[in-house]
Amino acid sequence: MPMYKSYHIERPRVTTQSPSVRGGFQRFFGRRSPALALRVLAALGLVLVAPSASAQTADEAAAQAPKAAAGQTESNQELTERVKALEEMVELMGSVQADVPAAPIKPAKSKQGRPKATNLDIALILDAAAAWFSSEGLQTGAHDPPDTGFHLQQLEMSLGENVDHLFELRANLVFSAFGVEVEEAYGRTLALPGGLQLRAGQFLTRMGRLNATHPHTWSFVDQPIVNGTLLGSEGSRGAGVEVSWLSPLPWYAELIASATEAGGECCAKSFLGANDLGVNSIGDFVYTVGLRQFFDLSSDVGLAWGMTTQQGPNSSGNGNRTEIYLTDLYLRWRPTSNTARMALSWTLEGMMRRRQLPGDLRVDAGGYTQLVWNLNKTWEMGARYGFVTGSPDDDLVPEATDDRHRVSGQVTYRPSHFSRLRLQGSVDNPLYRPEPIYVGMLAVEFLVGAHGAHKY
Amino acid sequence: MQQMVSALRLLILPCVLMLSTTSQAALNVVTTVPDLAALVAEVGGEHVNVTTMSSPDQDPHYVDPKPSLVVALARADLLVFNGLELEIGWLPPIQTNSRNAAIQKGGAGYFDASTSIDVMEIPVEANRAMGDIHPGGNPHYLYDPRQGALVAIAIGDKLAELIPKQSSLLRKNAQSVADKLKALAKEQTDRFAKLSPEQLKVVTYHRSLVYILDWLGIKRPINVEPLPGIAPTPRHVARVLGTMRAQKIKVILQERHYPTRTSDTLARMTQAKVAVIPGGANYNRKQKELYTDRIRRTAEVIYAALSR
Repeated sequence: MPMYKSYHIERPRVTTQSPSVRGGFQRFFGRRSPALALRVLAALGLVLVAPSASAQTADEAAAQAPKAAAGQTESNQELTERVKALEEMVELMGSVQADVPAAPIKPAKSKQGRPKATNLDIALILDAAAAWFSSEGLQTGAHDPPDTGFHLQQLEMSLGENVDHLFELRANLVFSAFGVEVEEAYGRTLALPGGLQLRAGQFLTRMGRLNATHPHTWSFVDQPIVNGTLLGSEGSRGAGVEVSWLSPLPWYAELIASATEAGGECCAKSFLGANDLGVNSIGDFVYTVGLRQFFDLSSDVGLAWGMTTQQGPNSSGNGNRTEIYLTDLYLRWRPTSNTARMALSWTLEGMMRRRQLPGDLRVDAGGYTQLVWNLNKTWEMGARYGFVTGSPDDDLVPEATDDRHRVSGQVTYRPSHFSRLRLQGSVDNPLYRPEPIYVGMLAVEFLVGAHGAHKY
Repeated sequence: MQQMVSALRLLILPCVLMLSTTSQAALNVVTTVPDLAALVAEVGGEHVNVTTMSSPDQDPHYVDPKPSLVVALARADLLVFNGLELEIGWLPPIQTNSRNAAIQKGGAGYFDASTSIDVMEIPVEANRAMGDIHPGGNPHYLYDPRQGALVAIAIGDKLAELIPKQSSLLRKNAQSVADKLKALAKEQTDRFAKLSPEQLKVVTYHRSLVYILDWLGIKRPINVEPLPGIAPTPRHVARVLGTMRAQKIKVILQERHYPTRTSDTLARMTQAKVAVIPGGANYNRKQKELYTDRIRRTAEVIYAALSR
């Protein structure tokens, strides 16, 4: 069928078609050569015995058919026969629709939407909160609302694009009342052989589950107290390199190893922290090594398990080192046949830190567990318990002479996929304070720009 | 010398045989939605081994990006996805994490099915105040066999590119699948054309059935959702109710993965019926429904609902 084939090949792949493209006949004959229409009619003339109106085109014949139907029965029959024969001819040529007059006007059909000038994904995410504290707050996260009042937690600008066939660039800039901060900026390989992947730049280390995520994915307004106390107010992050390997096992098992700068109180609190002694040997970096696994317990239930350790120098000098061991569990139940998009997820993260000090070995521990229930795509509820140990003469947190426990609960309302309103209440009980701190927060979040992808 | 040559031949022959059998091993294809899996399986036959990352009961916009999908993608030779930003919420990170060069953007095994179809409803301006709109156009084209035919031809070309030995066979398969789908499309268009205009009116839940409605000549004056992706509000439900009563609409048409609570209420108040169509083919480990059968099944449900 030569006409059919060439029609398909010649169909343009960019948006240059005029809006006049309509159903079968016109698409086929209207913009094609008039010679074709004449050829079909000539063939028709041979087929039909009845005299034909020589100047008629196929369009007019089809248009006349309904009008002629109201006329006399004999001429009606002739015209119907001719229209039928014409339709059959058109079908032979591969056209799809015959009802031109009845077809509704369709919007312009073209292969793809407008091509973009660039593929750089940019998203802006605003987090702001109004908070009330019953007494002086003890928030550990740099972007947690710290006291009673209105707070701009952060304006996060998330950027990313493929650099070329080998790499992609991802960056996260955080704008806050304190200025601009490069939270993450790294290049990552797209596909190395052997299931390897490399990252180089500044990034949040993959220490556990929460550390490598950004606040807009959190289920609570503030960070768990263990993360801020043991890792740092901005989480564990630094400039360095990371290599990860996806094993060929039939389930997801990934080995991660990274080396990052050990300085910065915000970001490597248990290591060199505020007292950056510099790099004097290969051991003077924070080495993070982890194994992450995932198991599909059923089509609706998934379990993720990670074990990570961080090793590095600490600020007490003399080659003293710190080790942190972390294990995390994430159990998620999402019934795929539930139309309301209901999901229930439980998270557990536990950390233990051993810190060498002159003549001492301090052991601290902490953890949190949370249960989050997405009732549907609009409403969410959650509860979280966190704790971190403390003991007298802690040089990193002098005030924390005893353990601290905190319970939080939240209700979240999502009018759309891109905005969120969260009400959260916490009872924070540091045992070194005379009474608990009661906290209430109302937080908003708005996202514009590229639709970022969700993590599991 | 002769003995050496024949000894070499004995050694080389099994190696050649092994190589030829491995090169005839089925191509590993991973698709995002079951409709694409059914279509690829119908075109590729025994030359492809197809798995899908979501089930037909799931809303394809919101699939959990489970790490097990990363493992499936790491082993894939070809990734076939719907495109037009349908999977943008979950596919890109698992695609990168799979570290599979073939399925990265620009790789040999990266196939966007939407590049072969006639896109409808390309917005002049894509602003989220108008709901969760896809700026490239309406992505739900796989419900329409006319678009499926175009995708089948394009898949045939892609598979022929990746399995050169079977290229003519695959292209022929693709053409026959496309012809079958076009014939099915014409058959149903004619069948629905016989229904009266009063019967050919529905209300849909999400703005996802435009291709089906265009194919079967059905009108849809209003959706249950006030804006794409936004849950029904009481004010809008009242508007839908008014429209259904004024235009005597007796059918609410929606896919299985959308909630039916509001639709059931509306149906009860207007003596209408909620017709639930499958969101995708039943393509999984146990069942391998053909795309053609899935389209026919959908058309039957709609016809039964409209013609009662």
